[in-house]
Amino acid sequence: MVEYRIDRHSGVATYVQIVQQTKQALRMGLLRPGDRLPTAREVVEATAINPNTVLKAYRELEREGLVEARRGLGTFVRRSLGTGPADSPLRTELEAWADRARAAGLEREDVAALFTAVLDQHFQGDPT
Amino acid sequence: MTAALSTPAPARPAPRQVRWLLRLHRPALCAWAVLVAGLAGALLWLWGPLTDAAATAWHDYDATCGRGRPCRYDQDAILRYKDVYQYTTMALLLLPFLAAAWAGAALTGREVETGTARLAWTQGVTPLRWLAARLTVPALLVAAGTALLGMLHHAAWSAGRGRVPTAKSWDDVPTFYTGGPLIAGLALAGLLIGALVGLLVGRSLVALCVSALSTAVLWIGVHTALPHLWPVATSVSGRRGFPSYSGIKVAEGIVTEGGAHRPVPTCTVDLSPQCQALNDRRGTVGFYIDYHPYSHRWPLQLASTGVLLALAVLLALAALRLLHHRTTTGGTRPGREGAAA
Amino acid sequence: MSSDTALRADALGKRFGLRGGWALRDCSFRLPAGRVCAVVGPNGAGKSTLLALAAGLTVPTEGSVTVLGTTPAAARPRVGYVAQDKPLYPQLTIAETLRMGADLNPGRWDAAGAEQVVAGGDLDPGARVRSLSGGQRTRVALALALGKRPELLLLDEPMADLDPLARHELMGTLMAQAAQYGTTIAMSSHVVAELEDSCDHLLLVGGGRIRLAGEIDDLLAAHLRVTGAGTPDALDAHTVVESRVTGRQLTALIRPAGALGDDWRTATPSLEELVLAHLRNPAAPALTAAGDAEDAATARNEEHAA
Repeated sequence: MVEYRIDRHSGVATYVQIVQQTKQALRMGLLRPGDRLPTAREVVEATAINPNTVLKAYRELEREGLVEARRGLGTFVRRSLGTGPADSPLRTELEAWADRARAAGLEREDVAALFTAVLDQHFQGDPT
Repeated sequence: MTAALSTPAPARPAPRQVRWLLRLHRPALCAWAVLVAGLAGALLWLWGPLTDAAATAWHDYDATCGRGRPCRYDQDAILRYKDVYQYTTMALLLLPFLAAAWAGAALTGREVETGTARLAWTQGVTPLRWLAARLTVPALLVAAGTALLGMLHHAAWSAGRGRVPTAKSWDDVPTFYTGGPLIAGLALAGLLIGALVGLLVGRSLVALCVSALSTAVLWIGVHTALPHLWPVATSVSGRRGFPSYSGIKVAEGIVTEGGAHRPVPTCTVDLSPQCQALNDRRGTVGFYIDYHPYSHRWPLQLASTGVLLALAVLLALAALRLLHHRTTTGGTRPGREGAAA
Repeated sequence: MSSDTALRADALGKRFGLRGGWALRDCSFRLPAGRVCAVVGPNGAGKSTLLALAAGLTVPTEGSVTVLGTTPAAARPRVGYVAQDKPLYPQLTIAETLRMGADLNPGRWDAAGAEQVVAGGDLDPGARVRSLSGGQRTRVALALALGKRPELLLLDEPMADLDPLARHELMGTLMAQAAQYGTTIAMSSHVVAELEDSCDHLLLVGGGRIRLAGEIDDLLAAHLRVTGAGTPDALDAHTVVESRVTGRQLTALIRPAGALGDDWRTATPSLEELVLAHLRNPAAPALTAAGDAEDAATARNEEHAA
């Protein structure tokens, strides 16, 4: 079971936080196929957020095919997310790139800004 | 709209609010029970032992005093009868004010003031049922208590009549009002005045004062109207005498030559030369007095009680109407159908 | 009236006394069932009057209010209401208060639910109501209102007396009620931030009138915070709620009527910004009726297209 933490000051929409935290739990193996997500009632009782926000997040997850709602039973995980293993080629490339950026004298903030800019450019229009 | 109409809410059992009304006002209920029991006890004591003792004392007084012998009688018994009679009578006279003040302050005023009335109205009790219970239950208790005390008072007074020379006359104002159902009518009207004022004012302390004052005004009104609630008896005399009467004098005046009765403010007997001259001038052939003899005691009691009961019903209807107007209808109401379309 | 409307006002107005001022005037809005609605506005704006009218505790001077498809008086058994000062009978114990709730609501009382609300506060059921703190009173008052399992719950400043912990916990209880039974909730507050996460619908009351009414997402989407170089008349094509010039920079909150030029930087306002901008500018036009909501949707689509 996953427990959501809502950060009101993050600037990220509440339902997006639930989607992100669910995906994070899927990546980390905290949630596996067949697991039940907490009911909307359970989530709102703990977080005091609006029930429709939780339902909106669950619909979003369902739309992405990650979970499915079974009437009267709850919302269940359908598939897990790739964990992006530490030794994947992509990660190796990214690490090499980060090394070069550092060697070129970029600060952490500079790297983050650059990375975000490229992300924005390539993933424009995608849901967060 | 149509959907809402075609599926009426299933019938639900009525809310059980009377037990909570009694629970909320338990202190007042206990106080009332103690008060009624205490006064009833005192009146029974007066009715039996005290009247007997006083009558005996008066008998002894008559038998011993003024015949050249030292007076030997139980003076304490006479004083005790007088005191207990006076105190119980005064206590009974206060009951209508007590009922009014309590109703205004605690029964409705405080509930409106603190918002607990609104709490009840949103807890399954409609405002009208809420008020109906608050009028009915106390009205029954107040009417039962005061009617019992009024009857006991009358019994106690009757026991002393003719036996205790200092017993009050029937037309003594406190005695008349406390001895019978009239005191119950006054207490009931006071209670309903209080309930209505509490709703209108919505502040317990103000309602307490206004209710008590209104009850006083009501009492004055009843006292003014009382003699006219039953046909009077009339006593007539010629110019040389004066009409004899007993009981409550209602009006007095002169009998003219044609036999008509004309109320006049002065010279209803030829006491002075000036009056004689005046009565000569206005053609007086005799004098008359309209009055209520003792035989009118019960008709007057019952008629005035009837008027008060009718007034109590009107007050209750006014209170219910006021609350209905405040919470359910009222204001301009454009067609609901139009609003729902 | 379809049953998917929990609360509806049509030209609703309320005046106290014959010569008193209008506490509320010309209010028209619709609250769909199943929403959690924030009734926001400064103190004295008319929030309490509005909730009392909806609860059938007082009657409109003009216009009408429709509750759960019927009159407020007829809807009273299905409506829960907690007044601002949380009135309770001080001489009763907590347990007695709940027993009274059961007796006054026969056939619909949820004893377990009510007791659960009270139990969350570590309260002694034998304690007299008069000995309770403000927060504890709130808890008991809410237990009474929730115990009757209302379809519409009207709460007047419910969180005002609560510490942050209790506030979070009770808000969670309310949201759970909404999630489980689909209860429509309307709660007032003068603190927007208090309600932001819990509510999906907004009713902004200011000066006795409805300033904003609708889904919070729609309302936010219908507005833009714009910054750029220019004078206020540059935004004349749009509805300007508020604008401020600092040096050469113009900052404004607008309802866009169409696409904006490229030289404006735009952002979606926060709920608090939206509320404050409307309260600071009483002359700004209100955004309330269903027709306006459609406009808002159009504006959102155009914004996406832009």
